[in-house]
Amino acid sequence: MPMIERKQVIPGDVIAKGNHRYGPYIEKRGDEYVALRVGLAEVGGDGVKLNPLTGPYLPRAEDEVIGKVVDINGFGWVIDINSCFDGFLPASFVFGREFSPSTHDLSSKFAVGDIIGCRIESYERSRDPQLSIRGEGYGRVDSGEIVKISPTKVPRLIGKRGAMINLISEKTGCDIRVGQNGVVVINGSPEGISKSANAIKMIEEETQAPDLMTRVEALVGGTGSG
Amino acid sequence: MSMKKNYVVETIRKAQMVQLLASGKRVDGRSLDQHRELKIETGVIPKANGSARVFLGNTQVIAGVKIATGTPFPDTPDKGILMVNAEILPLSSPYAEAGPPSEDAIELARVVDRGIRESKMVDLGKLNLVSGKSVIAIFVDCNVMNVDGNLFDATSYAVVAALRTAKMKKYVIKDEKAEATNELIQVPVEKTPVSLTFARIGDKVVVDPGAEEEASMDMRITITTEDGGNVCASQKGEASTITPAQVLQAADTSIRVGKAIRAKIIEATK
Repeated sequence: MPMIERKQVIPGDVIAKGNHRYGPYIEKRGDEYVALRVGLAEVGGDGVKLNPLTGPYLPRAEDEVIGKVVDINGFGWVIDINSCFDGFLPASFVFGREFSPSTHDLSSKFAVGDIIGCRIESYERSRDPQLSIRGEGYGRVDSGEIVKISPTKVPRLIGKRGAMINLISEKTGCDIRVGQNGVVVINGSPEGISKSANAIKMIEEETQAPDLMTRVEALVGGTGSG
Repeated sequence: MSMKKNYVVETIRKAQMVQLLASGKRVDGRSLDQHRELKIETGVIPKANGSARVFLGNTQVIAGVKIATGTPFPDTPDKGILMVNAEILPLSSPYAEAGPPSEDAIELARVVDRGIRESKMVDLGKLNLVSGKSVIAIFVDCNVMNVDGNLFDATSYAVVAALRTAKMKKYVIKDEKAEATNELIQVPVEKTPVSLTFARIGDKVVVDPGAEEEASMDMRITITTEDGGNVCASQKGEASTITPAQVLQAADTSIRVGKAIRAKIIEATK
């Protein structure tokens, strides 16, 4: 496996030269790959990648997100997905092909203010992201405490193969659901919720700390059913 | 891209809020009659006659006073002019837009203006220069820098603090004409009105609603009191109702809590 090289970059920094595959937030100028955001750059087997330190949630197809219904129109729900774009959940994805605006009452299914776990069905830059609740576990979230973190910190919160989130979940006995858009819903005992929320906030604030896992463990370690 | 209309509180968050209120608590840990932390800075705009910046929790408002001479209104020929204006800056909230003042900004200015005017805070009679021809005009312009609920009270405190610290030129009358001198004097401030806004959520009435509480409230009422403990202005908002007992209780709370806030404003504007 090739060595992965990580370095901090600011906009304008050259991350690599030559011929690579490259991801978002990077521009190719001649044979140089230039960073467009402040973040950590990686050059490895997968090409050139840049993980920005801040920024809004940019929708990606197949992402699982947690959104809030902010409006209902005749054909579906407008969902705030904590992004610069509003998501749209078409009624036909929920009621099926026989959906008709005159016979189905959309607000009886999801009302304004409801929290919905959903998946980004498709997204291209010319249109608002389209959402879907097809699949297991998607749909209205009926209880829990909502915590929002910066979407760029989500990978760290989840950890390698879910190590970090599983740790918090096991130690606090809470069920934690993380949307790729930075919205987290925690269910459990009041003490567990408050512990988990503190741990999540710590991860958000100290994302770059090398011993984060140990410190999170110390923070949530006290009680737990895990 | 659709435009965001207004803040929507999550259904589960609102349920939590109602549950907490039933036991006399609020989502941010305050008691029902507790306002958020209030911070007042004065003299923040060097070129204005008077200015103040108020922080009420995360709500932030800046007020500036401009004093000039003007022609009195025909129905009050021997009284000065006082005008309060407010604007909600586009940067202050995702729901504020640039352009002509919104309905909310106009209501904000009117409610604040009414509290100041009806308390007789500024003795407008002392602003008369030449009856029917020339009076001193005081313009207070407010800019909301950050919206986190209860703009009414934050703006009112900013205006009161700015007026209390405002200085104007002394005028002398020569041949029926007002002439400015270089001497600076205080604005004739007689009272310190304090506005207090209440939100009714379900059957509970809370003081100084935050953004989440404002988005879930059924109705709101702003009650302004003056130094003597008298109610001098009030304004009800939103479509729903309030019981007479709740109004009376709110008035009592406004007098009691207002007293402490008044002391704070006076301390900050010494």
